[in-house]
Amino acid sequence: MASHDDKGVKRSNMDGNDQDSKRIKRAENGDAAPEKYNPYLAHLNEDGNGNGTNGDFESPLDAFERHKTTAAQAAQAEDSELNPWTGQPHSQRYFDILKVRRDLPVHKQRQEFLDMYHNTQILVFVGETGSGKTTQIPQYVLYDELPHTNGKLIACTQPRRVAAMSVAQRVANELDVELGQEVGYSIRFENRTGPKTMLKYMTDGQLLRESMHDHDMSRYSCIILDEAHERTLATDILMALLKQIAARRSDLKIIVMSATLDAQKFQSYFYNAPLLAVPGRTHPVEIFYTPEPERDYLEAAVRTVLQIHATEPEGDILLFLTGEEEIEDACRRISLEVDDMIRESDAGPMKVYPLYGTLPPAHQQRIFEKAPEPLRKGGRPGRKVIVSTNIAETSLTIDGIVYVVDPGFSKQKIYNPRSRVESLLVSPISKASAQQRAGRAGRTRPGKCFRLYTEKAFKKELIEQTYPEILRSNLANTVLELKKLGVEDLVHFDLMDPPAPETMMRALEELNYLACLDDDGELTRLGGLASEFPLDPALAVMLISSPEFYCSNEILSIVSLLSVPSIWVRPNNARKRADEMKMQFAHPDGDHLTLLNAYHAFKGAETNGDDMKRWCHEHFLSYRHLSSADNVRAQLKRIMETHDISLVSTPFQDKNYYTNIRRALLAGFFMQVAMRESSNSKVYKTVKDDQLVMIHPSTSVTSPYDWVVYNEFVLTTKQYVRTVTNIRPEWLLEIAPVYYDLDTFEKGEIKSALTRITDKVKRRQAIKGSGSAR
Amino acid sequence: MTSTTKDPSTSGASPDSDSEDDYMKMTFADEPSTTTSSKSGKPIETSLQRRLRLQREGEIRGRVKSKAELAAEEEARREAALSTSLFSKFVPSPSTAPSFTSPSSATVPPPPPPPTAAKSKGLAMMAKMGFVPGNALGAGATEGRTEPIKISIKDGREGIGLESDRKRKMREAAEAAGEMAKKARVDEEGYRERLRREREEARLERQVLAAQKVAEGMDEDHENEARGGGGEKGSGEGEVQKSEERDDTDGGNSQSRRRRTRTDSCRPLRSIPVVYRGLIRSREEARREAMMRHDLEQSSTLSSTRLPTYVDDELDMDDKHALGKDTTTVHRPWNTYVMAEDLDEEDPELDEFNTLSPDERLRRLVQYMRNKHHYCFWCKANYDDAEMDGCPGLTEEEHD
Repeated sequence: MASHDDKGVKRSNMDGNDQDSKRIKRAENGDAAPEKYNPYLAHLNEDGNGNGTNGDFESPLDAFERHKTTAAQAAQAEDSELNPWTGQPHSQRYFDILKVRRDLPVHKQRQEFLDMYHNTQILVFVGETGSGKTTQIPQYVLYDELPHTNGKLIACTQPRRVAAMSVAQRVANELDVELGQEVGYSIRFENRTGPKTMLKYMTDGQLLRESMHDHDMSRYSCIILDEAHERTLATDILMALLKQIAARRSDLKIIVMSATLDAQKFQSYFYNAPLLAVPGRTHPVEIFYTPEPERDYLEAAVRTVLQIHATEPEGDILLFLTGEEEIEDACRRISLEVDDMIRESDAGPMKVYPLYGTLPPAHQQRIFEKAPEPLRKGGRPGRKVIVSTNIAETSLTIDGIVYVVDPGFSKQKIYNPRSRVESLLVSPISKASAQQRAGRAGRTRPGKCFRLYTEKAFKKELIEQTYPEILRSNLANTVLELKKLGVEDLVHFDLMDPPAPETMMRALEELNYLACLDDDGELTRLGGLASEFPLDPALAVMLISSPEFYCSNEILSIVSLLSVPSIWVRPNNARKRADEMKMQFAHPDGDHLTLLNAYHAFKGAETNGDDMKRWCHEHFLSYRHLSSADNVRAQLKRIMETHDISLVSTPFQDKNYYTNIRRALLAGFFMQVAMRESSNSKVYKTVKDDQLVMIHPSTSVTSPYDWVVYNEFVLTTKQYVRTVTNIRPEWLLEIAPVYYDLDTFEKGEIKSALTRITDKVKRRQAIKGSGSAR
Repeated sequence: MTSTTKDPSTSGASPDSDSEDDYMKMTFADEPSTTTSSKSGKPIETSLQRRLRLQREGEIRGRVKSKAELAAEEEARREAALSTSLFSKFVPSPSTAPSFTSPSSATVPPPPPPPTAAKSKGLAMMAKMGFVPGNALGAGATEGRTEPIKISIKDGREGIGLESDRKRKMREAAEAAGEMAKKARVDEEGYRERLRREREEARLERQVLAAQKVAEGMDEDHENEARGGGGEKGSGEGEVQKSEERDDTDGGNSQSRRRRTRTDSCRPLRSIPVVYRGLIRSREEARREAMMRHDLEQSSTLSSTRLPTYVDDELDMDDKHALGKDTTTVHRPWNTYVMAEDLDEEDPELDEFNTLSPDERLRRLVQYMRNKHHYCFWCKANYDDAEMDGCPGLTEEEHD
């Protein structure tokens, strides 16, 4: 992300202590530098260590001894004229960045880090965001592990795709190499690494997937788990796996990096691993509470932002809210009020930027724009306000924030195995989160944090730590992965926070129904195949079974479309037109089919040579998400081809074209079916879980059947099923006879309905049977 | 799904037997468990009972539920699902196992054995790995959880701590009110008492309203009679009777109201008997508002500057022209609907009347009608003289 570059530039400008004139000289030389190694500049390598041979060029690294290097040695190598890794001369930019890097808090402790690193297998590293740990530690390790000597890589995991990509880019710049060569990244559906890659940033999920084929992670000499405090599902699993692998592989080093707080928990989990802490570059933050609880936190938040603007000195504001809709609403309200303030009381100008995950990257970048200038010379200073989800809590650093407004809520994923509901719900944050948010105000200078709740509520109502994701997730996918990873005993698997037993039970059961696990809990052939796909088991099984329904091409498209964020664009100011456009693609029998229609139209326009961005814009479709669906499709197709899953289609003219697709959906999603309560009702009841739901208003199904299959269960204040398709109940009995074994149903409407259908089918078959016997 | 599970005709064992046979086998395999459970369970239902039950169930199902009902049911089901451990569903406790086979113990109705009780494959797999229900997962080094995280759904935008603060305040208020322990019982009764009283008061208010309308109608007819002579008497009386009945039942009658507004619009409010002056007053207020709104709408379609409250006498014709006020409508007297001039004035007499309890107001109304028209509100009848012979008394109870 360009954010890091911006930051870098800014810091280098501020950076006054330019003691090293040599570097400048060198830099000048570097500008005019000859293409290859210049012997006349060799004296600049103070100790003249760069005489060893390293393949086709001489490198200071040749004198390094693995796991015995020092910070000084590394610094010299970094200072050298030629890139020690590539033999190419360093660019001017490299030295500019190097200066910035040397100013980072972690740099002072490089030697200390190396000393500890040499003496332990597992190290816990604690440093706040902005300490430079994510970019620097992997490079310190690189200079010590010397991957070119043993061909083993260094991996650094990130919880988020964007972070993996942007950090990799940043580090590639810092090392003066091309992204995808020495430094690369690997995320789901995108791999940017090459044979030369030594340092690989990747999502934690990606490392987990990789290890399914390499149980010992033998490609790596060091694995760095970054942002471990976020406790993503994949990081938790990786920690447990690495604990096991560390016992088998003494040559593997592990660094667990976290932003303060529960470092002790990590230490004790990893057999009391040593801890290295780097102080963050933070300033004190004064915290204010409201005297009374707020009736409407959104209104209170808007009010607080305006109050800060009216009364507080210069400095940008960061407001935390829960979701897109709320954020856009707040932005609108703040902008309107500020206009009034400017008119009425000569307030300074204010820019308001929203920030949330589904915002296009170009818009996300805008948050790094400078605050507006005063309206006239000598006028009140301008300010920017960023209204963000909790993305801005840990993963993104925005300089210039002095005021934080924290209503105390965030949207959190939640899963309960009892009703099998997995949903995003607005929930109170934890104390740790609140501290993290407050800390955002003290990045540039002392700041203030306004908490929109009372101090008592903070103490009494907020939990200490946010629940790790593993406690809030459906584990079907994880269990499948663990099975594939060869973990036999799931019950005693050494997780930092083991999930509730019922969650495990549900996961095993679901996998059993999907025929991915047999009754003994062993991986079946189908299960093994399903684990090859970076998809949820239900999607994977649906894809694998689709050739039997003569529509694997179509199911492949649908799976890809379901794996990306919604392709439908519905801007606030053009909802109606957007809905009308969507109706053009609508298929009366199902949202899955509507998605497919849109995708086909997209591909059609592409073949026509239309300007796709414009076409998408006109049709209220997201070009970004459709393109990534296209990319996902290509990746999945490759996996299918590798495993000889044939790609077939029913001819479009065939009357069963759509029916086949609808039936194929059930092969994976037979556990996500709902039956209408009665024919005049809008209310459906989910099969086996007996939850009352309505079809989400975004549906394009015009005449819903009594039975529908759904892609997701959405829990807000209401319960909805989203992305639904009409199905016939007979198909359920035929396609998933084990799950629809009537003996396993509790008494009720669904059971009686299914019984009726069974009888009907029997009768029909009997007639047919006797007819054919005759 | 594997192909084996999906297509019974190709599935394993019986390679060449025809599909019917195969299928019959399947049903027989299914049958026994269902029949035994029904036999061992409840008494057999007769066809008539069954039909009635089905009809009843159908009616319940056919009814369209209100949103609130739906929301409540939705939540109830969610809570029910969330609060039931899957293990309690799947692990047959030792007490339920025997009662399953011997339905004799009628005194203690056994909890209906869930049909899935026999086995959860997931649980079986976990048991194979050494899991004991009630324990947590994990290597034992850490304290694992045995229960899933609770789901709480937040609706609205209440800030953190508001709900508990509200609860605390309520609790404090209750504490402040007196000794909790004694209060608790009294409160419960007090609550019922209060509910009853409130209901009673609402009922009385409705009756006051009805009585006011009757009184008004009677006064009006009386006046008309006085004015127009006795010619209409019979019909007039009949109509009053009718409107009374209607007023009593639904409390509103458009026909009679139309008639009244015609007459009372020119009368000052003060001249109306205080017992039903409030009724007229509120009606007038509503009417004035409606007409003003109407006027405003009318005028705003022509020119937004022409508000009925704003006439600037200083404007000369040019100004008026410029402001679009020179149409004839400007000179239209918008005050045509001035009917009760004292509508905005204070009325201590009425205020005093309104502070009375509803039963007192009703009593006065009844009294008023008795005195003036020899009419009993409870008998719904006119009497010939002040004696009102035949009427049991002043109160409602006496008419029971």
